[in-house]
Amino acid sequence: MRIVIVGVGGQGILFSSKVLGEIALRRGEKVVGSEVHGMSQRGGSVISHFKSGDHFGPLVQVGDADVVLAFDTDEAIRNVSFLRPGGTLIVNCDDPARFEAGAMGEYLRDKDIKVLPVDGYGILRERMRGRFLFLNVMILGALVASDSSGLSMEDMESAVADLSPERFRDDNLKALNLGFER
Amino acid sequence: MSERRILLGNEAIARGVVESGCAVATAYPGTPSSEILPAIAAYSDEMGTNTQVEWGANEKVALEMAIGACYAGKRSCAVMKQVGLNVAADPFMSVAHQKLDGGLLVVVSDDPGCHASQDDQDSRAYAAAAKIPCFDPSDAREAKAMVADAFDLADRYGVMAMLRPTVRVDHCRQDVEIMDDVVSQKDAVFDRKPAGKRIVMPAVIHGFLDDHSDRFEAIRGEFGAMDRYNFEVPSEEPAKLGVIACGISYSVVRDILNRLGRKDVSILKIGTPVPLPVNLVEDFVDRHDRVLILEETQPVVEGQIPNRTAVMGRWNGWVPKTGELVPEVVESLLLRALGVEEDLSDREVFNKIEEELSPEKRRPRLCPGCSHRPAYFSIRKVFPDAVVASDIGCYGLAIAQNAVDTNICMGGSVTAASGIYLAFKADGKGTDRPIFATLGDSTFFHSGMTGLATAVYNRHAFVLVILDNRITAMTGGQDHPGTGDKMRSGEEGVSVSIEEAVKGCGVKWLSVLDPYDIEKNKKTIEKAWEHASSNREPAVIVFRHPCITMLKVKPEYRPVKVDPSACIGCGLCIRDFNCPGLVWDQATGKAMVDDRYCVNCGVCVAVCPKGAIVPEGGDR
Repeated sequence: MRIVIVGVGGQGILFSSKVLGEIALRRGEKVVGSEVHGMSQRGGSVISHFKSGDHFGPLVQVGDADVVLAFDTDEAIRNVSFLRPGGTLIVNCDDPARFEAGAMGEYLRDKDIKVLPVDGYGILRERMRGRFLFLNVMILGALVASDSSGLSMEDMESAVADLSPERFRDDNLKALNLGFER
Repeated sequence: MSERRILLGNEAIARGVVESGCAVATAYPGTPSSEILPAIAAYSDEMGTNTQVEWGANEKVALEMAIGACYAGKRSCAVMKQVGLNVAADPFMSVAHQKLDGGLLVVVSDDPGCHASQDDQDSRAYAAAAKIPCFDPSDAREAKAMVADAFDLADRYGVMAMLRPTVRVDHCRQDVEIMDDVVSQKDAVFDRKPAGKRIVMPAVIHGFLDDHSDRFEAIRGEFGAMDRYNFEVPSEEPAKLGVIACGISYSVVRDILNRLGRKDVSILKIGTPVPLPVNLVEDFVDRHDRVLILEETQPVVEGQIPNRTAVMGRWNGWVPKTGELVPEVVESLLLRALGVEEDLSDREVFNKIEEELSPEKRRPRLCPGCSHRPAYFSIRKVFPDAVVASDIGCYGLAIAQNAVDTNICMGGSVTAASGIYLAFKADGKGTDRPIFATLGDSTFFHSGMTGLATAVYNRHAFVLVILDNRITAMTGGQDHPGTGDKMRSGEEGVSVSIEEAVKGCGVKWLSVLDPYDIEKNKKTIEKAWEHASSNREPAVIVFRHPCITMLKVKPEYRPVKVDPSACIGCGLCIRDFNCPGLVWDQATGKAMVDDRYCVNCGVCVAVCPKGAIVPEGGDR
């Protein structure tokens, strides 16, 4: 499984890749991945590469990812090239039309890439009093729902619960389910 | 007992250091190396070792402390990033020539592609210059194993060894085997004999130089036999191409060959680039018609290959001269070397997509609520024409609000301001243009103090602004002499006062301000320059406000909104204040608050010249 997670500093991208790693480790798979540190906390683009199974290097190559998790619409546009033909794009986005029209729509149809838009900010505003820090776990819920990863909700729930700090645990599980059902 | 855990590369290195029985570990933080020392502290706590874990005020300090521990016969380790090695280069070169008692390991993290650095330098070249052995890991697992072997080699030969991970090794996450056992060590002892063994002066060092060279050659022989780090991955079909790959490039090229299904390429992996096991390399080159060499960043291995006529590398332009060897680059090099035409059609499609949807370009900038932003805004507001020298640290990101004119390296703002002053002085213009130097609290202790003492002594007129956010923020929130906090649980430090240090350097005019208070601070900024210019000496302002991200400090709840009837769309708040919580609304041509990023600090109320940013009221 090769997953690329993209977004903006402060969105909890690194926590998401930690959850994926924990699940793979519990399944007895080898794990390797890479994250960008340093300048990213200040609102710059953040990218995390995740690979489970028999791989050597930590980076996913362009055209090779099974899934791209995009916490931000603009970062999705910039990083759609990571997806392999037949891959899945899960994107936090309030305007799905951007992925249907023009060169983007044509490319995605051409490569048979499935798009799963989640209006993350809208849902969090409405259902979790605008606490946007739960966006990451919501996207993980959508990942399970997309059926593109072979991950079960049981595995995901237990990994999220175990890795969450106590005070965020219940809200994380709530956000996970909001993402799953969205 | 062993266990498998997913570790960051830096955690794997730290675990290796503790398992190796290292007694003293020191560092100054720097991306991509910053997580290593705190992880050493954490593992030391977990495993119950008595490892002494200390931040030095800078890399030279850190390395010299590790050297001292090694003089007392203990295994010790100093950690830094590649640019930090420049600061520590002085002790690094000297100690390289000495025969040591304890094993000394220096971990230097390189940053090919400059993800978080001002340059692309290759620390293996430093190892070559100093004639010390260097290990170049290709992943987290190997990095951990190499720490153990590096300590062993350093112990046996009495040399300083280098582990040189690159950013993709430091920041990879991988499942890694960890052990419970710690290599046992002898007690500290300072052996005075033979006389002069730890003295560096011409008369003494001459006798050591040949020994140093002999040890280096003996280690070359050991590396030739270290087949766990230097080995061949033969091709399954007759080889059309040979690849010599070092460090992370080895991991990258193996994935690509699997992906392409090529079975006609053989690889020679080199994990110990300095001193290069030349025999292995010559033999591999002899057996292949063409050899592509992949190493980051500089041609350190390539340059040691005696016959390069069949080698495709940097010297003949096959490999790009700069930048990171990411998978896309490596694949394109491989295909070209194999004579395969690359399919570039998708690239045109991606260009078209970006053109149509024009995603926002995100340059690094200060966090919402960051106290540096109003500090810089105030300086620029009072003196729009001031020359503002800055430094390497978060505050340098104020370049995005057009408030920073220069930066060189840590501590360089103070001395650059001195030089700028002298340049004007040389023209007889004296002080008509305000000069400011800005740096952080950690940077002040790193190497700002020496520049300040120099400026006081020589009577340089500028305002030094110390942006004290109580943490080393840029690298992820490490402590320093000013914070006084320490890494290991149960250890207490002492906080060194910046004000006292400033006064101790001879500064007569000093003011401590809260940067959030823009209106109130303008007068003081004016006075500081007035003092500096009329008395021909540095004046110092300390802007003190805790880092909003690293210290998880919530500002007072003062939500704001933009009054669209008052906003004239001048864009000053976007351009000069540049907070991610304020965004431009294309539709109305006015500013608005973005609730996804705004932290409700309310500081921007003082920014709008038309008073269009107004408090909203309400409780948290």
